[in-house]
Parts: sequence; structure tokens; C-alpha cells
Amino acid sequence: MSVFRNRLMARPAALLALAIMAMSYALAYLWLTGDLAGGGWGGWEASFPAWERLFERRGFLQFEPVGRIMLGSLVWTFSPLNTLVALAMGGLLGLNLLAAWWVWRSPRVCGVGGSAGGILAAIPALLVGGACCAPLVLIWLGLPIAGAVVGLTPLLIPLALVLMLAGLWVMSRRLDASG
Amino acid sequence: MRRLLLTTALLGFLVGGSALAGPPTQAPPQVAVAHSLESFRAALQSGGPGKDGIPSIDRPRFLSADQARLSDDEIVIGLYRQGEARAYPQRILVWHEIVNDELGGEALSITYCPLTGTALGFKRGATQLGVSGKLVNSNLVMYDRATDSEWPQILGVAIDGPLVGQGLEEVRLIWTTWGQWRARYPETRVLSEQTGYVRNYRRDPYGSYVPLGGYYLPESRRLFPVLNRDDRFPPKTMIFGVRTVQGALAVDRRALREERVIETRLGEESLVLIHDPGLDTAWAFRNPRGLSLDADALNFTPEGVRGPGIEALEPLHGFEAMWFAWAAFYPDTSLYPEQTP
Repeated sequence: MSVFRNRLMARPAALLALAIMAMSYALAYLWLTGDLAGGGWGGWEASFPAWERLFERRGFLQFEPVGRIMLGSLVWTFSPLNTLVALAMGGLLGLNLLAAWWVWRSPRVCGVGGSAGGILAAIPALLVGGACCAPLVLIWLGLPIAGAVVGLTPLLIPLALVLMLAGLWVMSRRLDASG
Repeated sequence: MRRLLLTTALLGFLVGGSALAGPPTQAPPQVAVAHSLESFRAALQSGGPGKDGIPSIDRPRFLSADQARLSDDEIVIGLYRQGEARAYPQRILVWHEIVNDELGGEALSITYCPLTGTALGFKRGATQLGVSGKLVNSNLVMYDRATDSEWPQILGVAIDGPLVGQGLEEVRLIWTTWGQWRARYPETRVLSEQTGYVRNYRRDPYGSYVPLGGYYLPESRRLFPVLNRDDRFPPKTMIFGVRTVQGALAVDRRALREERVIETRLGEESLVLIHDPGLDTAWAFRNPRGLSLDADALNFTPEGVRGPGIEALEPLHGFEAMWFAWAAFYPDTSLYPEQTP
């Protein structure tokens, strides 16, 4: 995986793109899981009255908020651990996208670089990376199928993590081979 | 020595026994059970969050009516008992579903299921009720923390665990607005947002009651499968329901408002339902002598409805519910006014 670190260090634009993708995904994740929502009444306000609940779980990889941050009409019920999960998922997803881009742009070596094979490795990861929030989107849209798939949510996040790591491993080998 | 051992064993049994004491129950239950308990168990499904993932409020704090910042049209769930009134704002309960409270020395659980729009109170004894994370017919399945028995809220009967088949003792809650509740009970206390948890109490994750929107719209679709479907009303239409061991009756709230007093039958029994215009809810009674009531002679007090003939009636528990959920639990429900399926 050192190939990613080397490439990120050598290309500040790639690092910036990764940060933007991780942040965007994290915001979407926090919005869909309900940590970030409307309901603010203007101005700003921050209070952290429940640090004792830092490690208290609400569900799989879902933790109790410890504080509330209000900015304008936005309210963030802040859990440091949920935020870490969101950023980790976002970082992995961003890295998958960057890696897929590098594989696609890399010179053909031994018939692997630039082929669809490398990019294909990222597809399951990307799909599941997005799918982890799918049941929440369905509930949000009020579709009856949500009830049937909501039980899958706890499985989708670890599945997404495993597939995204596997995708990165496959693509790192392609990039190593292509130099 | 032998006596000491016996006493110790007896004390141990009593202490152990009380630690496992579940909520007070009725066996057999005083309500209809239209599906077999096996079919309820088979229909259990995850609602998303795990056990206690929706945390009950176990140390509720209260504010005075003046301290509470509520608008008049906001939905509250009201409880009046032994001369004391309490209001539980729907926008707090939607995040917790259960408040383990105590009023006048009596331990009660105030329960609310947002997916079925039902608020029911139960006596809880020395234990507490919690949110199991499971649903049946889209309805909250509660568990008691003493025996871990599982109780669908609308059914009020344990479908699994050591207390299977037994019914909880119900306490009437009132689904109304803050303005109406405060007018009837000016000295009411109000559940505070200081619940011990951090939640966005200004936002309802399902929709909105003021104005009506999202999941709460009558025509909107339900999210989870049900044991029985009935399309005589749009799914989320709020009805007023009563059930006895003989069956269940759903009353169209428009008819209730228009007719003010409804005399009807459920199985062999005569029932009377009286619309309370101050709270926009109903008071249900058994009417064993088949009395006719004069709507104009009735008045509505903090204690409920009063007037000629009321003393001869037997109070019956009733509550508002979304139609799809009522029909799912009670497929053979009677309807007022009558409608053919």
C-alpha cells in the first residue's frame, strides 16, 4: 500500500481531492444517519453534556452523541466515533476512486496497466461504499422495501470496509506492476 | 443453625424473586388477541436500531407549564392521574419511545410508537420497559427489564419470554395538543429536553404533525410488512380504537366529532363513546344498562366526562392509532360507521 502514500505525497492535488471526497462522503453519511440535520433556530451554539456516553452504542458502528453543535439551521448531534467512522469510510472511498483513476491513467505494462481489470476491482467497493446508506435513503424516501432491507444495514458497513480494502490491495498491485 | 440456614434460603428466594419480578399482569389478558402468539413471533423483525438503541428515558425531569417552550398546536401525550397532570411532547418521545416514570407513588411506563401513532400507558411495577429494537406489524415491541419478555405495544400482551400470554395493565394517555392540554390542566408539568441524552428534539426523523407531512400523511405508505392489510381507510388515517376480549372496534374520528355521543355494540356488549371537544379525543365506556346519554348535558372536567348517566357506565381503555396498524392487529375489527371490507 506504500504506493498510495508515495503518490499522495508527490501530488498535493491528489491529497486535496482525497480530503474533499472524504469530507463530502462523511457529511452525506452523517446526514443520512441523522447526526447532521435541520432544526436549528439561527445563530450558533455548542454544548457537550454527555461525554460519559462516548463509547455507548446505539447500533452497529453507531454511537451516542456527546454534544450538540448548532450553526444556523443545521444541528449536529456530535459523536466523535461516528465522525471517525464517517471519515474512515469517506477516506477509503476517496482512495478507491483515486486508485481507479491512477490505474486507468497508468501506462500499459504486462497487459495489466490501463486495462479495465484494475478499475473493475474498485467497482464492488464503490457500490457497497454507497450501499451502506441505501436502507436509510429508502426509509427517508418512505419506500416499503426499506423495512425488508433495514436489517442488512449492520452487514453493509463491514462489507463495504472489507471490499474497499480488498479493492485497494488489488489496485496497489496493479500500480506497483506498472511502476 | 438450621433455622438460620432456612431463613437465609427464604430471604435469598424472596430477594431473587423480587429481582425477577416483572410488571403487574393480567392472566388471561383483558384484550383481544386476534392472531396466534406464534404468528406474532414469526412476524417479528428488526426495526434497525438494536435493543435499547432507542434509549428509554429512565430519569425524566419536568418543567412547569410556563417554563416549557411549546407552541399551542404541538402534539403532546397527556397523563392525568391522582390529581396530577403531565405532558410528554411528541417531539421528545419520538426519539425515546418509552418514559419510565413515577406518578403519585405509582410506577408507570409512558410508551409511544411513531410508526403506528399510538400512545399507551402501562403499569410497570418494580421493573422498567425498554425498546427491544424489534417491530411487529410496524409496532414497537417493548421488553421488560426483569424477565426480558417481549410485548408489542398495541397488543399489550407478551408474545415471548417467561410472561408469554399475559397482559399488561393499561393506563389511559391522551393524544392532544399542548394548547388543549394546558387549557384543561393549567398546573401540568412537562417533560424536559434534559433527558440525559443528546438528540435533535426540534426535528422529527419521520415527518411532521404541524403541518402534517412525511410519514404521518394519511396516504403515505407504511415501511414494514404487516399481518393483515385493509384498505377501507388510507393507511395512516388516525382512528380511535377500543378492544375487549370480545373483539375490537375502530371509530372514525370525524364521526366522533360530528355525532358527539356514539352508542354501538362490540360482540355482546353495548358501548358508548363520547367525544371530548376540549381535548379532541374520546372517552369509551361499557354501557351494561343500555342507557342513552344527552350530549348537551355532559361536561368535561380534569377527571374526564361528567353528567347524568355517566356513573352507570364502566370506563374502557381506548387510544388513537393509525388505521393500517389497527387493522393489522385486529383483522376482524368492527368499524363505526360501518363499512364493508
